[in-house]
Amino acid sequence: GACFLSLAVFGRAIHAIARISDEFWFDPIEKGLALRSVNSSRSAYACVFFSSMFFQHYCWTAGTQPCQKEKQLSLPCKLIIKSVLPVFRCVNVLERNVEKCSICSSPSEQHITFQLLCRHGVVKTYNLTFQECDPLQAVFAKHMCPNILKVHSRLLADVMIHFPSSQEEITLSVTPVKVCFKSYTEEDTDFSRTMLTEIQLSPEEFDYFQVGVDSAVTFCLKELRGLLAFSEATSVPVSIHFDRCGRPIAFSIEDLLLEASFILATLCEAEKEAASPEPNCHLYKYCIFQFHSLFFGAVSYKEKAIGDTFQSLVTASDTEEELGALQSSPVL
Amino acid sequence: MRFRAKIVDLACLNHFSRIINTIAKLAKTCILRLTVCKLYFILSDKVANGGASMWCELSQGNFFDEFQMEGVAAEHNEIYLEFVPENLWRAFKTAQSAKAVKIKLTNKHCPCLRVAVELPSLSSSSRIVTHDIPVGVIPRRMWNDFREPSVPDFDVSIYLPVLKTMKSVVERMKNLSNFIVIEANLSGEMNLKIETDLVSVTTHFKDLGNPPWASEDGYQSSAQGRDVESMAEACIDIKKLQQLLAGQQVNPTKALCSKFNSSACELQLVGSFAILSFSRISVFIFVCLKVNIFTAPEDFQYLYF
Repeated sequence: GACFLSLAVFGRAIHAIARISDEFWFDPIEKGLALRSVNSSRSAYACVFFSSMFFQHYCWTAGTQPCQKEKQLSLPCKLIIKSVLPVFRCVNVLERNVEKCSICSSPSEQHITFQLLCRHGVVKTYNLTFQECDPLQAVFAKHMCPNILKVHSRLLADVMIHFPSSQEEITLSVTPVKVCFKSYTEEDTDFSRTMLTEIQLSPEEFDYFQVGVDSAVTFCLKELRGLLAFSEATSVPVSIHFDRCGRPIAFSIEDLLLEASFILATLCEAEKEAASPEPNCHLYKYCIFQFHSLFFGAVSYKEKAIGDTFQSLVTASDTEEELGALQSSPVL
Repeated sequence: MRFRAKIVDLACLNHFSRIINTIAKLAKTCILRLTVCKLYFILSDKVANGGASMWCELSQGNFFDEFQMEGVAAEHNEIYLEFVPENLWRAFKTAQSAKAVKIKLTNKHCPCLRVAVELPSLSSSSRIVTHDIPVGVIPRRMWNDFREPSVPDFDVSIYLPVLKTMKSVVERMKNLSNFIVIEANLSGEMNLKIETDLVSVTTHFKDLGNPPWASEDGYQSSAQGRDVESMAEACIDIKKLQQLLAGQQVNPTKALCSKFNSSACELQLVGSFAILSFSRISVFIFVCLKVNIFTAPEDFQYLYF
C-alpha cells in the first residue's frame, strides 16, 4: 500500500508513460515503486521509480522468499494505462480536490486498488485488474556514453515548442562547440511540401556539457514529450546520455524522491555501414538496448540468473560489454 | 530572383505576425507578391460557391528594417510566390521575443522562404531558429490572375459598430439561419437581419456615421444624390461573415461597410493597421470576401473604390 506526497507528480508520471504504450508494469519493491513501459516496436522504454520516501506511507511485503523454488508471483504486474489514466485525468485539479490517494494491491483478487479520498467526503475507488507477467527491465550503461548534456527542462520545452506537435522525429547533433536540434527528413521526403525547422544552441546554455564524440542522433520526439512534461512538473533538470547514431539515447531526471528514465532507440543510417554484407537490407535499423526477462520477483543485478535474452530487433554488437557492465550500471 | 528582408522592431514584428495569423485563418494557400516597396498577400478565389478572395497590401517600410528585392527580370521587377500561410504563421508565432527576424528566398532542395529568428538566450550567444518554408514560384504568364480587383460603384458606405459586438450578434444569428441581410443607409443606421419561417430577428445600430468619401475618380457617383434614409441591403452567407469577423487579429479603429448597387456588398474595416473589405459576387448565392489591409490610414486612399 502507498499514500501520496505529491499526487500531481505521480499523475504526470502516468501521463508521461502513457505516451510510450497502452500498458505499463507496476512493480513495487522494498525501496519503492517502479512503473515501467515499453512500446510495441521495442524502440522506447520508460521507467519511473518512486522511492518509498516519495509516499506518505509505503508498505511492501515480499511475496516470495529467495529460497523458494516455485514461482509465486503476483507482482510485478501489468496494468492497462487507459484504465489508470482516468484516475489521474486532470492533474492540475487533482491536488486541490484530493486529500489522499492510496494504492493497494490484493493479489488474491487480482486487482490493484486506487482510492482517492476527495473533498466533501467523496471517495473514489478504482479497482484495476492486472495481468501477471514477467518483469520488464532494460539495461543501459548510461555512464559509458561519451556525450552527456544536462539542462533545465524549461530549455528543452523552449526548444521543442518550435516544432509542430505532429513532428515525429528530430535529430540532435552535437560538436564540442555547437548543439543543434532539427526536424528529421527521410531520403525520399517531398521537400516542396515539408517545412523544416532547426534550432541552434550554444553549449553555454547547458548546465553540463560533455561531447566526447561528434554525433547526430535521430529519435522519436512524440515519445519524449511525455518526459518533458513530467520534468517540467518536477522542475528537476534533465540529463541526456547518448553516443553515435544507432546507439540508444537516454533522457533522465533524478532527485532524492524519484528517478525517471526514458530510453529511445535512434536511427542508424545505412551510409555509415559501408561494409554491410547485405546491400538490400532495410535502409534504417533501429538499434536498441537489450531486454532481460528475469524470473524472480525482485529485480537485482546481483542475481545474474538471466533467462531468455529478449531481442526483438538488432542489438548493439558489444553485447558482452554491456553484460559485463551489469555489475556497476544501475538497474532501471 | 533575390529577396532578403529583416525585422528588428518588436512592435513591427508583432503586427506583421498578427496579419499573418489573420491570413492563415482565411486561406490554406496564398500568394505573396513582392515589389520594390510593397508586399501583397493575395488569395484569388476560384471556389464556385463563395469563399475568401483576399487582397492585402503592406508597405514594406512600415515593417522591415531592411528590404531588398530583385524580380524575375528588370522590366518585371516583381516576385510572385505561392505558399501555405499556416507555415509562415508557425515560424512567427514563436518569434515574439526575437532580437531579429530575417527572411530570405533560398533554393536548397527546392525554393523556400527561409525565416531565421534570433532569440535571446541565457548565454552570450543567441539562439537561432531557422524555418524553411517551401514556396512555389509563380511564372510570369500567370501573374494576370492576381491583379488588383476592381471595385465597382457603391451605394452606401457606413462605419461599422464595435466589431466585438457585431461578432457576437452574428455568432448568435448563425444558429438560426444560413443567410444574413445587412442593411445600411447614409444616416448612420445599420441593421443586421435574419429571417426564417419561424422567426425573424433584427439588430439595429444607430449613429454609426458615414465616411466622407472624396469624389476621386468619380467613384462615389452613384451614392451622391441618394436619399439618406433609404436602406441599401445585401444578403450574405452568414458563415463566411462570421469566419471573417472571427479571424480578425488586427484591431481596426473604424470599420466600414459599403453597399454596392444591389449585386454586391462590401464591408470594410478601417484602422490604423487594417482595412478589411468584404464583398459579394452575386445575390443570395455567392459570397466573396475581399480583404485589403493597409499599414497606415493614408494608404486608405480610396484606391479600392
